[in-house]
Amino acid sequence: MERLLGNPRAVLVLLGPALLVYSLVMLIPIVWSLVYTVYEGNAVSGFEFVGIDNFVRFFNDPTALEAVGFTIRYALILTVLQVVVGYALALLYVFYLKKASSLVRTLVFFPVILPTVAVALLFRRFFEAAPTEGPINSIMEFVGLSTFDWFGQPDASFWVIIMMDLWRSMGFYAVLLYAGVVEIPEDIIESARIDGAAGWRLVRHIILPLSLPVLLSATIFSINGTLKVFDSVVALTNGGPGTSTTPLTVYMFQTSFSFGQYGYGSTVALMLTVMCLLVTIFIFRASRRDLTRNEK
Amino acid sequence: MITARRARRRNLSIVAAVGVGVIALTGCSGGGASSSKEFTYLGQTQNTAISGTLDILAKDQCAAAEKAAPLKADAIDGTTWDQQLQLLAGQDALSDMSMAGGTPSLMQEFIDSGKVLNLSETFEKEGLEGRVLPAAESTIKALYGGGDLYALPTEFNIEGFWYNKQLLADNGIEAPVTWDDLVDAAATLDANGVQPFVAAGKDGWPITRLVGDYIARDLGPDALQKVADGDASLTDPEYVAAADAVAELGTEGYFGPAAGSIDYNTALNQFLTGGGAFFYMGSWALAAFNDPEQNKIGVDNIGFAPFPAVEGGAGSIDQVPANVGIPVMFTEKGYDDDVAQWLDCVTANYGDVALNEFGQVTGFVVNNPPADQPALTQEVQDIIADAPSSVLWFEAAFTPEATSVSQKNGGGLASGTLTGEAFMKLVQDANN
Amino acid sequence: MTTLAVTPFHRRFRTFVRRLPVYIGVAILLIIVAYPLVWLLLGSFKQQDEFLSEPFWSLPRSWSFDNYVEAFVGGGLGKYILNSVIAVFPSMFLILLLGTAAGFALEVMVWKGRGAVLLVFLAGVMIPLQMILLPLFTIYFNLHLTGTLWPLIITYTATGLPLTVFMMATFFRAVPREIFEAATLDGANIYRIFWSVGIPLVRNALFTVALVQFFFIWNDLLIALTFTNSQDLRTIQAGLLNFTGQYGAVDYGPMFAGIAVNVVGTLVLYLFLNQKVMKGLTAGSVKG
Repeated sequence: MERLLGNPRAVLVLLGPALLVYSLVMLIPIVWSLVYTVYEGNAVSGFEFVGIDNFVRFFNDPTALEAVGFTIRYALILTVLQVVVGYALALLYVFYLKKASSLVRTLVFFPVILPTVAVALLFRRFFEAAPTEGPINSIMEFVGLSTFDWFGQPDASFWVIIMMDLWRSMGFYAVLLYAGVVEIPEDIIESARIDGAAGWRLVRHIILPLSLPVLLSATIFSINGTLKVFDSVVALTNGGPGTSTTPLTVYMFQTSFSFGQYGYGSTVALMLTVMCLLVTIFIFRASRRDLTRNEK
Repeated sequence: MITARRARRRNLSIVAAVGVGVIALTGCSGGGASSSKEFTYLGQTQNTAISGTLDILAKDQCAAAEKAAPLKADAIDGTTWDQQLQLLAGQDALSDMSMAGGTPSLMQEFIDSGKVLNLSETFEKEGLEGRVLPAAESTIKALYGGGDLYALPTEFNIEGFWYNKQLLADNGIEAPVTWDDLVDAAATLDANGVQPFVAAGKDGWPITRLVGDYIARDLGPDALQKVADGDASLTDPEYVAAADAVAELGTEGYFGPAAGSIDYNTALNQFLTGGGAFFYMGSWALAAFNDPEQNKIGVDNIGFAPFPAVEGGAGSIDQVPANVGIPVMFTEKGYDDDVAQWLDCVTANYGDVALNEFGQVTGFVVNNPPADQPALTQEVQDIIADAPSSVLWFEAAFTPEATSVSQKNGGGLASGTLTGEAFMKLVQDANN
Repeated sequence: MTTLAVTPFHRRFRTFVRRLPVYIGVAILLIIVAYPLVWLLLGSFKQQDEFLSEPFWSLPRSWSFDNYVEAFVGGGLGKYILNSVIAVFPSMFLILLLGTAAGFALEVMVWKGRGAVLLVFLAGVMIPLQMILLPLFTIYFNLHLTGTLWPLIITYTATGLPLTVFMMATFFRAVPREIFEAATLDGANIYRIFWSVGIPLVRNALFTVALVQFFFIWNDLLIALTFTNSQDLRTIQAGLLNFTGQYGAVDYGPMFAGIAVNVVGTLVLYLFLNQKVMKGLTAGSVKG
């Protein structure tokens, strides 16, 4: 039996194709790009070896550091919102709507399938201030506030991006987490109920610990996605006003392809990858500690 | 057992479906690289005038060239244009003819690495001189530096203030000749409840053009080149004065509410529905002005005022701000006798066909102008013909970083959230 | 008598009142997510000036399908949809097949170094795609793959694998090992165990992963724009950009028609997949 499940040829047959495709298309290009981080130039004018200059430049580049700040702020806030709102929705589906949740689930999921171009257009119109007023400004005027130029000011733009991405992805996270919550055995919840746990206490002490694994993968999934945000920012604000909403991915794309500094662009990308790696390891560590504490 | 067999059959059909897809794919595949027997052109999807004109030429005036090497025109999206050009150039796979790089500095790299055909030399060798208008030629030369021509002006636009004649007349205002006139006019309009300026602040460039033009009028047409050469800085007080002049219009609210968030469509529509008096724009907008579907104020109601003079300035009002859109270039590698035949034919006929069929004003000499044109279009052509010299826009000589920073922050000037000094410092820092 | 009759009603009413906030919340939620859909659909019937001059919530002046005709005839939408289908479905098939097999090999089978390989795959989740574009372009170009849809299929497959492998491994981990051990004792060979025991066990998971991957790939713009250098190869997302002009003018009507077609198509697919997912989930919970 052990021999059968450990058959090296079978491992090769089953794992080989995936590993091969992954290595050829992702690993090799990554290593290739890593080499560029110590070079300056681009594919047209040629490359020149510069040692660690690109890294020195990165830490002295105010635009890059601003992009790091935006990326981290955006990723942390959106990840927390995505997971918390998604989880709340999942609990709503499972414990309040029960069998009737299918329609709600589908509708809330729906924004995920919209093309980014469409969503961005929608939100621009929603938050429009002039010449025609969008619904948000109309409501603000109705309750006695003055209209506000949401895209003319860094903080407001930031929150519109957050709202847009949350609106777009909450249904997706709800479905992901729903799959985890719905699989919690009914009898465990029932026996907890008999023991007198209800409402918040039931969630806190029974459901939350049991759905921790799926919450963990959702968090890792979310943080790695949000750290690499690209198209929603490009479509909604294009990094503006000024460069205040420019994430690292957009900055990297610009330096590489618009400014013709491919080496430096690769360096920015490497820093982003390192950030993703650190955050993921941190989450793994933190969750493990949390798990063991719960077990005690 | 039954289910297993059924499952297998289903799997087979899936495999078959994928197989068909694969066959369809290989069917679609053709060489992406240029082959010797074709004349390849690559443009941006957004620009239909060039490929349309080439198609007509291929059927008519350029039939002989078409026979020797048939035209194969293709297009990709403009949003990733520079990226694609770089990737293709890196593989030495640029089309025989293609639209040029979006940023002048990318073109300079192509020129430096010998990828782009030197048209000045080629014209001399093939005897094709005199087919490009001098104004357009000097604009391109100034744009890409060096003394030679490296691209053909498939488009030639002048820029300035288009104004709503009715709104100006109602408020007793004449077309402004000096910057102070313009500011006074704006104050009057604003006081009477008319929005003085319409601008696409989100795009940035409609605002930064004002800064550039002001500098050209105040400090002379070579002032921006001095900045590019490092002989002057945008943070010098005389340069900051230009940005401050524009920022002041913003702080006064002359660009209307939320000026930094308005996009091109909205601004154009606002002007064409009477929502504002002055609209700084290039002459390509004539297509929209001449379209009654879009233009609700009527084309006869639109006037053109050159960018006003700055009193005591070194520049003059008849130096027209001009641009060539994105011109087209030829590759050094793809140039052979077949392409030479194309080049000959295109330079000889492009101007006529583009103007007659697409209403596109180009930088080529026109031999047979259309019989009846809208008055405004005619006026623009006359200005182009009479202009003694042209000036380039604000960012033309800057690095791509500075261009990007400038256009991203232009909206801040219009909405009054950015001072002239802060704006100039941002751009200057990015240009270093 | 009366008290007996009132109590159940009373209780039901009280439950209703207690749940009222939830119902209101759900209603607001539905408006927030559904109204934009309505807006998009309405937009596909509007003329250009209606977008620019009329208020946000105005209804279209007429219900003509001109925009749809324009999107398909002038915008070439049909071709783009076909390209998307040709690029997306083979990649999905490959992702699921290769990813599940790899997940099985990494989680069910026992061999040295599998933890490390799983980590290598996990690392792929963290890499910004923008980083591999230039090397990949060079590779595809020298293999003469540019000018076909192969670069899209290959890139989609490879970029979809890390997450799929990771998720499938997680799902296989949840399956009790005794099931596979029993199957080996029955004398089945390893491929049969994978195909007839492993895959059916993670069928729900397969649909979930398929759903996730489909929306990633279908909505991709970056890869599609980088590796398709011809008009004939554009995917639907790239095709939607066609309605933007050189100086930033947007042709709203046809663009919304394109979006509407795109959305309705994916919605149908989602409903189909969703049903499968739900069936699988309920079957799973009955067993559990």
